[in-house]
Formats: sequence, C-alpha cells, structure tokens
Amino acid sequence: MDDLLHVRSLVNSREGTVKPAIYTDPDIYRLELERIFARSWLFLAHESMIPKAGDFFTTYMGEDAILVVRQKDGSVDAYLNQCRHRGMRVCHADGGNTRAFTCPYHGWSYGLDGALNSVPLEKEAYRDQLDKSKWGLTRVTRVATYKGLIFGNWDATAPDLEDYMGDMKWYLDGFLDRRAGGTEVLGGVHKWTIDCNWKFAAEQFCSDQYHAPYTHASAIQVLQPTTANKADGSPLGEGQTAKPVWADALGGVQFSGNGHGSAFFFTGKPDANVWVGGQVSAYFREHYPEAVERLGEVRAKRLAGHNTMFPTLSWLNGTQTLRVWHPRGPDKIEVWAFCLGDKEMPDDVKDALVKSHARSFGPAGFLEQDDSENWVEVQKVLKGHIARKTDFCMQMGRGFEERRTDGIPGLTNYTFAETAARGFYQHWADMMSAENWGEIEALAKASEKELTNV
Amino acid sequence: MSDLATLDKAPLTNEKLEKLAAEIYRVPLELQREIEQFLYFEASLLDDWRFRDWLELFAEDVSYVLMTNTQSQTRDRRRGVHPPLTYIFNEDKYQLERRVARLETGMAWAEEPPSRTRHLVANLRVLSYDGEVVETASNYHIHRASKQTDIYSFVGTRRDKLRRVGSTWQIFERKMELDQFVLVAPNICILF
Repeated sequence: MDDLLHVRSLVNSREGTVKPAIYTDPDIYRLELERIFARSWLFLAHESMIPKAGDFFTTYMGEDAILVVRQKDGSVDAYLNQCRHRGMRVCHADGGNTRAFTCPYHGWSYGLDGALNSVPLEKEAYRDQLDKSKWGLTRVTRVATYKGLIFGNWDATAPDLEDYMGDMKWYLDGFLDRRAGGTEVLGGVHKWTIDCNWKFAAEQFCSDQYHAPYTHASAIQVLQPTTANKADGSPLGEGQTAKPVWADALGGVQFSGNGHGSAFFFTGKPDANVWVGGQVSAYFREHYPEAVERLGEVRAKRLAGHNTMFPTLSWLNGTQTLRVWHPRGPDKIEVWAFCLGDKEMPDDVKDALVKSHARSFGPAGFLEQDDSENWVEVQKVLKGHIARKTDFCMQMGRGFEERRTDGIPGLTNYTFAETAARGFYQHWADMMSAENWGEIEALAKASEKELTNV
Repeated sequence: MSDLATLDKAPLTNEKLEKLAAEIYRVPLELQREIEQFLYFEASLLDDWRFRDWLELFAEDVSYVLMTNTQSQTRDRRRGVHPPLTYIFNEDKYQLERRVARLETGMAWAEEPPSRTRHLVANLRVLSYDGEVVETASNYHIHRASKQTDIYSFVGTRRDKLRRVGSTWQIFERKMELDQFVLVAPNICILF
C-alpha cells in the first residue's frame, strides 16, 4: 500500500465522514483512471446489441474509447478505439456492422479480431519491413459476460467477474433473470452530460434512498394516480399502489463488498413504482409467478430499488434503466442509459416500456431531472477552498448494520441508512491506495471490520 | 398548393425547381403570416411561464415527440441504416399537462427558481395546406439561462402539424430532432 495521494485521510468510514476534495482534485482523478477504472470490471455493452458477427458498439472504459466487437466465432472482444500509428479514433460510429475498422487518418485497417491487416503503401513506404503482427488494436485484457451483460477489465490480476460481483450477483439476478430467455436492450441509448463528479451519481444509486422523498417530491406528487390528478387512470402510474413502494421503508439498504450496494424493498404486491407505465406494471404482475419460481418471493417482488456495481454501473428495478456514469474529468460525467426488458416481453409491452423508461429516467424524465440538478450544484459549491475541506456527514444508521439470516445477502441496514455509501467510499479509498489486487483484497477484509464494529 | 413535404424528398430537378417557384415560394402571404404569428405566440407563452395557456394551443390528440440521434458508418448512412434510437419526449396531452403540473409544484428543483428561456423559431416553411391541416417545417433554438451562470442551448429542427379550429389553430403533431447527439445539458426540464 503506497497511498500516493493520502486519500485514506479523506475517507473515514468508521466515523462516517468524507472530505469533498475527493470530488474535485485533478490528481485524485488521474489516479482514479489508473487505479479504479483500469482495474475494475466495467460494463461495456449488452449482448443483444451486437448479435451478429461484425456487429460492434463503441463505448468507453473510464476515458478510454473502446470498440466492442462480435467475432466470427460468436465470442465478444473489445479493443481500444485508437489506431496504433498516430492514435486516431478508428471508428466514429456509435454502432453498426462491419468487416474491418479502417482508420480515417492514414488508412491502417484492422480486422474484427483487432489484427492489423493492411497498411497503405506497405511495400513502398515501409519497404515491407513493418511487422504488422505487432501493431494490432490494443485488446482489452479481459472480457467476460454475465447474463447478457458484457464487462471488460484491463487488470490481468483482478478477481474473476463473478467473484468481483460477490453478493451483488444475487441482486443483479433479480434484474436480469425474471424470465427464461433473459433480457435485451430496448431501443437506443440515452446519452447526456452532467457537470459533476462520477461518485455523486454512483454513490446515490448505491446507497441513497433518503433523497427520494424530497428530491423527487414533485414527480411523486404529480404522477400518483389519485383522483385529484386523473380519476380515469393515467398512462403513468396507472393501476399502481398509490404511493412509492419504498414509502413504508420495509426493506433495507445493503453493501455487497467491493464497493457494490443497493436497496431492496418488501411490498405487499408485485408492484412497480407509480411512474412505471400501466401496461408495464400489468406485465410484471402477470409474470410474477414465473419470477417467483426463478428468484423467490423477495426478489420477484423487488420491482423498485436502486443499485450500483462499483464503480459506475447503476440500475433501477421496475423502471428498467441501466446506466453507466462515464467519467469526464473530476467535474463532469457522461451518462449512458439503456432500457432493459425481458426478451420474452410482447412487442407492445416492449414499446410501452421504452416510453415509460424515457418518461421516468430519460434525460427529460420526470424523475431524472431532479437528480442531476443536485449534483451540479454540489459540484459548484465545491469550487470553494473551505468548502473542499469541510467534512460531509455520512453517519446515517452507523452501528446498526447486520447480517440477515433470511437469505438476503450483504451487510444490511434500514432503508434509510448510509451503510452502502460508507462501504462504497471505503472500497474507493482501498483501491486508490493499494498497489495491486492482492492488497485491495487484504484491505477489503480489514475494512469490513471498520464498517461493522463502530 | 402542392405538398412540399413529399416534394422535399424528391431529387432537385429543373422540374422541381419550377414547381417550387410556381407554388411553394408563393405560399399565400396571409397563411404564412398567420402560422408564423401563431408559432411566435406559442413560444412566448413558454418564455412567459404561461404553461396552462400554452397547453390550450395543443389538440387533445396531440403527439409530441423528440427522438435521440446516433452516428452511423458512412456505408450505413447511405443505406439509411443507423444504430437504434429512443425517445426523449413521447408525450400526449395528459403527459404534457403533468409536466406543467410538475413545474407548478414549486418542488421541481431543476426549475426552482425558474430558468429564463427564449424559444426562437426560424426558417419557417409552410409545406402543405389542404384547407384544414397545415404542415410546417421550422428550426428552433431554445436558449436557457438557469441559476446564476448556467447557459444551455438546444438547437434542432421540427415538423408541426396544425389543425384549423374555428378562427384559430391547434397543434396536433410535433416531431422534433435535436442536433446534439450527446446532450450537453444535465437534463431537459423545460418544454420545447
């Protein structure tokens, strides 16, 4: 452990405090790109987006541009979207199908497998002495798939994907595995920018149910299908429990280790939140028995809830939004939001879900609008010198963590508690200060004591 | 007058140029002016935060849609193929009304305090008119000044279909495109 930038002095998960310099310091950000984003499993794409050989999707790992490509043998590989000659972006398209990636700068051309296949004027200019086998696209060290989600990792020594996910797998299954056939991405990808540090977004989806009643007060008020709103049933919220399912706070927050966290809820009925479209919520109810059979009652009923798989993959059950918070400097992110539906959904329900998803958590969504506003304003306040040194309070529910005996995994607490936030930042500090994955794992064991023995 | 919406898609031949000159450029001045004034009025209602009044300009069966956009390979673009799109807005009258209701709660934090918007409508063309329905093409530039120093700009194009209702008009279809593929804004919390 070298703790190059003394980040361990900025996060105190035992006391529940964080120094906001972690959201603003350019040196910390540069180290994050190296130690967090080049060592963690990062979401790249969903398999359904690139079904055929030659299909590709362009994305990012941290700030590194990435090509995700379906190979001729059906496997998936990922490469740096950077020509080996002068570093030009090899592919500008957001996605498509191709036989080759040809750099627009000097015309170097790469195959689906990343191999450098042709170089203009190879004989004349390179005198046939260029060893093309050495200049293929830089391959992402490890690519692995979990129930349709494709992940990449630059670190050969990182734990395998499923070990890295740990208990979070149990929660992710509840999102991906409700029906036979799994999920697919419906429609296109919402992309927008927010001038805030990536950790605000990732931590909120990891741990923060507390913001919802206040931040989203306006949406909750106008979308509830009360008689004051619209007596004849509304497109949004139609047929739903007349209040958000988390309002009774039955359930809890959980920290899964490795920075992952989420909330789970117990509801009386298999209801999604009020802002999920009526046709979609009816679908969830209709296929509830199948979900119970596959997942058990708790996860089948979990049609609301927030989740983050460290560092930047988040999703919301019920609204079916899955998003990545691509970092763009210490004070900017690019949000990429995908709508995930069951493959077996009828087409009209898929269409209704895409619309419902956009209305709730697209960039113009009734709920989405509120969140970004908070993060942007916090980031502005943190321009202040004193503001950056002023502790944030992260003490909610401290000391009330428990391990449940009913099969619900993770370190749990009451719904409104910052257990997962403390775990998120502790893991962040561990990764930032450790020189390798061996150290990260050793620190994680010690950190669990910090989180539980207050 | 002929249907420019259809004519627009045809290759620009001499015949088409003549047709444009003969019919489209000579869209009745009064009609052009009437539609223009209507759309300016509509924009002013949004800029003046008269959202309930603004709703009155939309038909009960209105469809109000803004899609995302994507970059595709040259080869795909020529074939009209592109990565999938999704909705940013997909509103009916009730949804628009709920958006207005949300702004009225005083707790829609992205618009609290309210931002200052200017909805600029330009390059208005009347594409067709059959005595009842008029189809228009226009470009928009929405300038949004928010909080102390935040400036956001939304530029794009749109097709509106308006229906004559008595002596005035109602919009029953608005199809919009936005030029930003990755939205350079934290959200869209205003009406377009």
